[in-house]
Amino acid sequence: MLSLHKTPLAVLLLMVVFTFFAYSSIGVAKPLTSVQWLDVVAEGGTSSMACLWLLMTLSSRPRGKVTYLLAAGMGLIMLGAWADCLDEFYKIGKEQMWDHWMEAVFTLGGMMILTVGLYFWRQEQFSLNIHLQKRERLFRDHRAFDRVTQLGDASYLRRLIAMEQGNHTDAPHCIALLDINAFHILNREFGVEEGDRILQAVAHMLLLNLSNQDVLCRYAGERFAIYMPSISLDQAQQKVNHLSAMVEQMHFYTQTRQIAITLCAECAVVSGAAEVTIEALLASLDSRADQAGDGAAAVSPLAPMVSPAHA
Amino acid sequence: MAYLSSSDKCLVAQHHAMLAWENARRYELDLESLARASKLKLEDFALNERRISPEQYLTLLQQMAKKLDATDTSFNLGQHMLPGHFGPASQALLYAKDLRQALQILLQFQTELCPLLTPRIKEENGQLILYWMDQWGAPSMLAFLVEMHMTAVTAMCRWLSERRLPWRYCFNRSRARHIEQHHVHLGLDLRFDCYLDAMIIPSEFLDVPWPRANASSAAMAIEQALAQTSKHLRAQSIVPQLYDYLSVNIRCAPSLEKAAQHFECSVATFKRHLARHGTHFQAELDQVRTHMALYLFHFQEMDNEAVASYLGFHDATNFRRSFKRWTGQTPSSLRLAME
Repeated sequence: MLSLHKTPLAVLLLMVVFTFFAYSSIGVAKPLTSVQWLDVVAEGGTSSMACLWLLMTLSSRPRGKVTYLLAAGMGLIMLGAWADCLDEFYKIGKEQMWDHWMEAVFTLGGMMILTVGLYFWRQEQFSLNIHLQKRERLFRDHRAFDRVTQLGDASYLRRLIAMEQGNHTDAPHCIALLDINAFHILNREFGVEEGDRILQAVAHMLLLNLSNQDVLCRYAGERFAIYMPSISLDQAQQKVNHLSAMVEQMHFYTQTRQIAITLCAECAVVSGAAEVTIEALLASLDSRADQAGDGAAAVSPLAPMVSPAHA
Repeated sequence: MAYLSSSDKCLVAQHHAMLAWENARRYELDLESLARASKLKLEDFALNERRISPEQYLTLLQQMAKKLDATDTSFNLGQHMLPGHFGPASQALLYAKDLRQALQILLQFQTELCPLLTPRIKEENGQLILYWMDQWGAPSMLAFLVEMHMTAVTAMCRWLSERRLPWRYCFNRSRARHIEQHHVHLGLDLRFDCYLDAMIIPSEFLDVPWPRANASSAAMAIEQALAQTSKHLRAQSIVPQLYDYLSVNIRCAPSLEKAAQHFECSVATFKRHLARHGTHFQAELDQVRTHMALYLFHFQEMDNEAVASYLGFHDATNFRRSFKRWTGQTPSSLRLAME
């Protein structure tokens, strides 16, 4: 993303060079024996660290107000330390005050701008959190997000349940597993790209129909998990039935035709080891799929040919 | 004796490597850096019959796994590996009449269908065991490859037989942390710390007819595949061939010298060939003995005494000690894990 920010980087480089020439042309070089090397290391180090922060920030963010404020703040802090460092090598006459002004304005000004930037960044985070609602709860781990659906994975779910169990609340917590029927057939028939799109569509549909304290995870493959805190099994079952109905209502189109997507769901109250509960749910999903004739009946949920124009 | 090394260009680029490449594209990985790391050229995938080495394919998989850094990469690759689009051998699989024929085809055309691991089959006592072994010396990738190949066979059987088959899975590793992927892509009957990467199924499922079967199409495809393989050298490294040789000669006090003689090369050259695949004679011999011992325990229901004398040990105590050295476990504890 660094290539997005060529102008700010060019301005920064120009300022570094300009500061250097200001000192080297107006100031008088000190003899190397009188240079305070500890100061040089400390100030040079501060400057290069600030430069590193700046590059890390710019390389991870798109353009925008918050990015520019953060970058300007860090850039000025870096220039302040840079001027401070040059001060060790060049002697500037006592009557000239510009070098002191430069250091002070750059450093303090940089910190003020950075603070403003952080304020707006905080607001930005709040609005991003709304997007992540229903995908996370209690903690964040960017490594646990699945590439296709942007949902947390099974390890996220396990840690979340462990954390909730540590909180010792009396209300029952439920977990539901949802399986897309005959997903492997759809995948073979329409290709993996369509398979990914089905996963995304189902994930969106489920997210839209969840309450704010529920968390949706992609357990593995075509199986999703929903963690529902403080809810009775009956309520959880109702909720899951509604979710299945909503997904069934959804119109999904591949390149050539409309297909029906149905879910098979099981839910249970989490008690004791979450692993055991989840494994029992997986087993009952498997046996339900087998009873429905796993692959054989799979062709039937495909809707008859309906062109998108008529649907 | 013809055997290849992992740097020989013996795999068709448009077959298995293409599948991995398509997946890399699907997940928007940097294709150029992938190609550079595995010394592949973009035209390898565009031109018919362009061949690459197992080493290149393995590097491609390794880089993909590293860049994606996800627990499901191997399982996703496996989902679409078989029957695949690897010429007549894939056609034959598609029309196989039942599981037995499908597995026979898999073994017969392993160069085309699963070039990285060697599948092996044993059937006895009402069970069939399909186990997977490293072919080109990629110990760091073995767990990944095993997941991929087991998923491939499982998914293929599920699709072609239109039902989930009751496989039991044994893994030569400690319990995986990403167990959820095993649960969903393979099944719930999983055993870890087994010294063998194997899939076990009751024999009665071998002869259940598959709905997509087509005997004449299958026979024709097998014939075509045979005609094709006779033109090319079978892409096999020295490792599986040594395993076969040792399995046959396990009771004739096999030695490094005799094996080298069998493979028609000097002891030094023989050692070098094995070293290139990250192994040595003693390791291979110990492995064959362990597999034989497990087979005798599991299928012949022999006890320690009987297995010890079969494998040429003086007494059961000696055998127990050796077995512990080979596997890190005593015979009885490993038997429990496999039961």
